Amino acid sequence: MLEVRALDAFHGHAQALWDVSLDVGDAEIVSVMGPNGAGKSTLVMAIAGLLRSVRGQIALNGVDLADVPAHHVCSHGVAIVPEGRRVFAQMSVRDNLLLGAHRRGARAEHAETLARVEALFPRLADRSNQLAVTLSGGEQQMLALGRALMARPRLLLLDEPSLGLAPVVMDEVFDAITTIRADGVGVLLVEQDVERALDISDRGYLLIEGRIVTAGTAAELRGNAEVRSSVLGL
Amino acid sequence: MMRRGLIGFPLVLLALAALAVFQDTLGVSLFYITVLATLFFWVAQATSWNILSGYSGYFSFGQGAFVGVGVYTTAVLTSKHDWNFYLTLPVAAVLSTLLALGIGAVAFRVGAFRGATFALLTLAVPFILASVARLSSRIDGGQGVSVPVPDVPEPLGFQQFLYLVMLVIAIVAVAAAYAIQHSRFGWALAAIRDNEDVAEALGVATFKWKMLAIAVTGAIGGVAGSAWALQFGFVQVEVIFGLTVPLFVIVMSVLGGRTYWLGPVLGAAVIVLLQDRLAGGGFESWRPIIFGGLLALMVIFAPDGLWAQLKARPLLTGVAAAAALIVLFVAGVGDVLDRIVLAMLATGVAAFWPQRLLPARLRRTVAAPPTTPVAGAPPSEPAPPEPTAHEAHVPARGVAVPAADHDAPVAIECRDLARHYGGVRALDGLDLLIRQGELVGLIGPNGSGKTTLVNLLSGAVRPTRGSIHVAGRDVTRLAPHAINHAGVARTYQIPRPFESMTLHDNVAMAIMFGRKPRSLAEARSRATEYLDFVGLVPYAAARPADINLHQRQLLEMARALATDPKVLFLDESLAGLNPAEIDNAVEVVRRIHTSGVTIVIVEHLLRVVNQLAERVIVLNRGRLLADGDTKTVMRDPAVVDVYLGKSGRKVPANDSGSEHA
Amino acid sequence: MSIAQALITGAMLGGMYAMMAVGLSVSWGMLRVINLAHFGLILLGAYGTYQLATSWSINPIVTIGITAPLMFLLGAALHWIFDRTGLSEFTSLLVSFGVLIIIIQLVHIVWTADFRRIDPAVNTYGTESWFVGSFVFPLPRLIAFVLGVVVIAGAWVLLQRTFMGRALRAFAEDREMAAAYGIDHRRLGMLLAGASGATAAIAGMLWAMSFTLVPDAPFEWIGIVFAVVILGGIGQVLGTLAAGLLVGALYNLAAVMWEATASLLVVFVAIVLALLLRPEGLFVRSAGPGWPRFRGKRARAGQPDPSQEREVTAR
Repeated sequence: MLEVRALDAFHGHAQALWDVSLDVGDAEIVSVMGPNGAGKSTLVMAIAGLLRSVRGQIALNGVDLADVPAHHVCSHGVAIVPEGRRVFAQMSVRDNLLLGAHRRGARAEHAETLARVEALFPRLADRSNQLAVTLSGGEQQMLALGRALMARPRLLLLDEPSLGLAPVVMDEVFDAITTIRADGVGVLLVEQDVERALDISDRGYLLIEGRIVTAGTAAELRGNAEVRSSVLGL
Repeated sequence: MMRRGLIGFPLVLLALAALAVFQDTLGVSLFYITVLATLFFWVAQATSWNILSGYSGYFSFGQGAFVGVGVYTTAVLTSKHDWNFYLTLPVAAVLSTLLALGIGAVAFRVGAFRGATFALLTLAVPFILASVARLSSRIDGGQGVSVPVPDVPEPLGFQQFLYLVMLVIAIVAVAAAYAIQHSRFGWALAAIRDNEDVAEALGVATFKWKMLAIAVTGAIGGVAGSAWALQFGFVQVEVIFGLTVPLFVIVMSVLGGRTYWLGPVLGAAVIVLLQDRLAGGGFESWRPIIFGGLLALMVIFAPDGLWAQLKARPLLTGVAAAAALIVLFVAGVGDVLDRIVLAMLATGVAAFWPQRLLPARLRRTVAAPPTTPVAGAPPSEPAPPEPTAHEAHVPARGVAVPAADHDAPVAIECRDLARHYGGVRALDGLDLLIRQGELVGLIGPNGSGKTTLVNLLSGAVRPTRGSIHVAGRDVTRLAPHAINHAGVARTYQIPRPFESMTLHDNVAMAIMFGRKPRSLAEARSRATEYLDFVGLVPYAAARPADINLHQRQLLEMARALATDPKVLFLDESLAGLNPAEIDNAVEVVRRIHTSGVTIVIVEHLLRVVNQLAERVIVLNRGRLLADGDTKTVMRDPAVVDVYLGKSGRKVPANDSGSEHA
Repeated sequence: MSIAQALITGAMLGGMYAMMAVGLSVSWGMLRVINLAHFGLILLGAYGTYQLATSWSINPIVTIGITAPLMFLLGAALHWIFDRTGLSEFTSLLVSFGVLIIIIQLVHIVWTADFRRIDPAVNTYGTESWFVGSFVFPLPRLIAFVLGVVVIAGAWVLLQRTFMGRALRAFAEDREMAAAYGIDHRRLGMLLAGASGATAAIAGMLWAMSFTLVPDAPFEWIGIVFAVVILGGIGQVLGTLAAGLLVGALYNLAAVMWEATASLLVVFVAIVLALLLRPEGLFVRSAGPGWPRFRGKRARAGQPDPSQEREVTAR
């Protein structure tokens, strides 16, 4: 479904990604691991169309998205849960969710999607009138995830969903990710927590200093010494 | 350099004064004398405005307030209290300076009053003064005040007298602007304009300099206002405190160029002459439309103003001006002023004509930046500088302390340090002790509070509770520049150089205002040493925009080092670099450490931390997770957990991992 | 006049100031444009109403059917320029200052500097008053108050309840995330700027109905309207309404209790004090992270301010 080929990406003067190629299939969870600063977030932002200075190909079901403005990328079925969640802090939980359904393809069915999302995260339903800023970190993460689901995506981009969460909450979030996959959504998961990421992934890539150095199935990567040592910097 | 430059001003003053004194002999008509007097007034006003708003970037709509105080001081004292005109000048200067300091004391104390908010705040000041003036019958009372004509020294007429007064004020104003620009004062203001927070962190006492700038602006504005009262003869609240003054000074300075002392003079000349011709040509009512349009277009298309364009195209504009003047004089179009205005317009067109519409031959070839900034390959240069060459340049700072010494004096100590943002506890009760000569790695996952800690220790953020001591001195409540003077310097994760200055001047800034403040000349002469230290000498004359990220990060280090710190915080100075650049940066960090500076390096690349640091501090969720020598900490199960996740510690960190396969 | 009466009259006048301020406030808060030209649009709206009422004897309230769409187009066109030239919040202030000067001068040229007033025969509300008990409610003030409340409350409902309104609020908070969820900032910006223009037309009509017109009137408005914007909280619709009523009441109270020319002084002093105590505005719920002491500009999407920490801004 998603095919990234020979992607270079830049932050102003700095090149952050070199020649990155990867694939995500339907209903597949693919994780991208690597130490902090390896360019994982850059990759997610580039695919979501939020980074304009890119070179290479980002194709979703054969449509090249590399030059499509961000607000159109979304209408091709890409939704992002960014690093740091970035929920709309001064808006209510309900409004955050409804905003996720802003794109044309999702707006008509927003009531139905909302019911499904609130079933998946009952806590969001309980707090639907609270401002997002008053939520705990875990709830905000669920909200960010819920917002993305409201867009009825075919590809979900998750940037470090475990960041700053208590282990129990982390389990909840990762369970939700597997549920989402069961609906046929492809997931690109960027994660620092290698073990946890591999637990739910089908395949994975190791990104170091802007380049993909290793790829393989979750089982292959689990025993890979390079993955461990690169993250720990040994 | 500055003293020599200042000699020109008395000469210009004498030459222009002669014009009025020997007016009859020279055959200059009275008309020119009045036009020039008006021009001098606006030169003084625009220059006055520019010292605060152009140099420091604090854009003000409040110039009318200073002018108004000057005008009304003179008007009221001469008409209602029979004061001598000359005596009112210093009173006006004092009053408007006090007003300026009052505005500054309110606005500059509050961090929120920057940029647009400051501009709007200053917009309100003339309104307030206008209502005060209208309200009090001892000032104006809504009736207006007529200003008596002062006794004019003998051979001069009133117009010549006014001309001379305005001339002196204008020359003093421009000389002040020149002197400020060529001194530490001007450099401090330029640094504030480029990036105030960074300036403060590099030891610039921003509040003091801003207060000084607004005081100078107020003083000149007030004195020029005094003289303006004479020109009016009858002053009214609406005219003095209206938007004419701010509109004119802003248009003039934006047109001429805000960052250079001569800019407002150029702008004033163009606007005053143009205005005179427009009035003469029956286009009076179009005047504001032209000036308003000029302001909008200049801000959008040529925010750097005329001076920058003249400098960029000296030949083209020079030829255009000369050609236009010759043609106009030969053809005998209009009178002298018409010709000058038309020639100015021709020059302006030549200056602002879009680059791409110029014939290829006239296009100024843009100097290629030293390196291609977004090249994929690691830059071939600069070659890592040879370490031996630098030892001599290392600023001597006692004996180098190569390894952590457990008895070394304490460099930094914090107790129970915490910073909360609303309900978020970015840092929550940290005790830390760092000794002189240490090289400490500070790591932790995103959101663990590393940057908050650096911000707290450099004073950029005030702690919610707890204390910080630098070399035994309590700096908890000090402003960032004072903390810098106590011996703390930092770099930024995303480099924040002063974009308008060359690399050399970026470093010179830091030397000038650092822990041991130095004169401008000395700072400039020593800047190369620090550039050499990080290997940036080949780019000394380049601007930050022309160098790549690695070089910008090296510049950050050179600049921080130039403030002569005891402790240096490096905040992710290696983020986004390629492997070769990382190796070079590691080398530079080592060299800085060897020169005797205590270093705390915040870094995501654990490989680098392992290489460099003898001691590692790990933060997690705003609390200390581990602190100790690098090897031990990196094997600490709690640390492995944080980085690899709960199950990560199943395999010992030093193991090859083969057993797990 | 009693204090209560002064407060009531002032608060009603405040409805008009809120009307003037609301467009300015939302374009500052949501589009990051400090649009001084908004005052020019109000002026044009006022003269438009005057001209329509004078030439064709159209009821002043009805004239907004014509002026509001025109000002919508003009506001949207101006925003198109601001947007395409990529102005920052600060440069927009300068550019729109230039545009304001141009509009004022055009009004000068077209309508001259003479005082203009709608013929009372057409403007039948001009002199009427309602009496409730011992209180007087001059009709034009009452209309200003009611229209102000209705329009601003309506805008608030739209912002709260519609997809477009949510999109605007999201866009104001985090442009990048808004774009990632399919919000087209260009279209939305033009729409909002147009709507602001339409409110300027209504505010202009209210002014024309109550007062005498002069081309320099915007200079009278700027101070007090910005006071309302800042006190209400930038981009806060209901806050603007509340601040408008408060400032209007204070303004009128000062005029009655002390002297007419002093009222502006009182309002400004109150504002400077309020700003020192509550820099974000009086009516802003202070949820969310507090500001670091030495903060720079507000971080914007795509160019986060490095001095603010990514990890704690909790978007």
